[in-house]
Amino acid sequence: MDQDHPRIELKIPSQLLYLGVPDAILMELAGDLPFGQKEMDELSTSVIEACTNAMEHGNRMEELQPVEIHFDFDDGRIVVTVYDHGPGFDFEGWHPSEELLRERGRGINIMREFTDSLEFGFAPDGRFRARLVKSFNGQA
Amino acid sequence: MKIKERKRDGVAILEMSGKIMGGPDAAAFSETLKTLLHEGVRNIVVDLGRVNWINSTGLGILISGYSTVKKSGGELKLLNPSERIQSIFMVSKLHTVFQSYRDEEEAVRSFA
Repeated sequence: MDQDHPRIELKIPSQLLYLGVPDAILMELAGDLPFGQKEMDELSTSVIEACTNAMEHGNRMEELQPVEIHFDFDDGRIVVTVYDHGPGFDFEGWHPSEELLRERGRGINIMREFTDSLEFGFAPDGRFRARLVKSFNGQA
Repeated sequence: MKIKERKRDGVAILEMSGKIMGGPDAAAFSETLKTLLHEGVRNIVVDLGRVNWINSTGLGILISGYSTVKKSGGELKLLNPSERIQSIFMVSKLHTVFQSYRDEEEAVRSFA
């Protein structure tokens, strides 16, 4: 995405302790953007899931390996891109377990439900990235 | 995540605060439940009123606790989840598993 719009860039260490930082940014902005609190909660919950995945599965909790997060504020929507240094995974081939009491494997479903668009893939620089889009009018 | 424990009419109330996100949270919650079950306390209310957010790993911690208590013949119920947390339970369909209350007295009486 060309940077012809406001962007916040953030790098956090791969430690769960820092998962609250992207949440704090979105909550700080919530009252000043044309989104309802519910939409901002949903986006922030999704970003926390993306960062959790990036830390655990991408960077394998190597503390000094950063997770980079870009928040792009563009024409009635927020695009959040989360980068890690891991090998990625086959998003198209991923199917969650139907077991209701499973203790893992809910993150992607939560992101799917709470965003208007969710994509995974490799960035040109080789890093794996998750791209989450939340639109004011619900259109990705 | 912090856990403050108290008892009311034989029911353990676990007041959670902060963020439930995995890592050391899992061991802390598991140890608290094990101690309660060892003491013979099998009816447990988890108060989420002061929890800012929970991620899917945190959901796993609550599910593990629910299953542990259930296997011991008890019940684990929720109190005061925020709208944000409720919505995560909804999309995960876990609202069909966990009984949730707005009022502590009602939650405690539900075990009778």
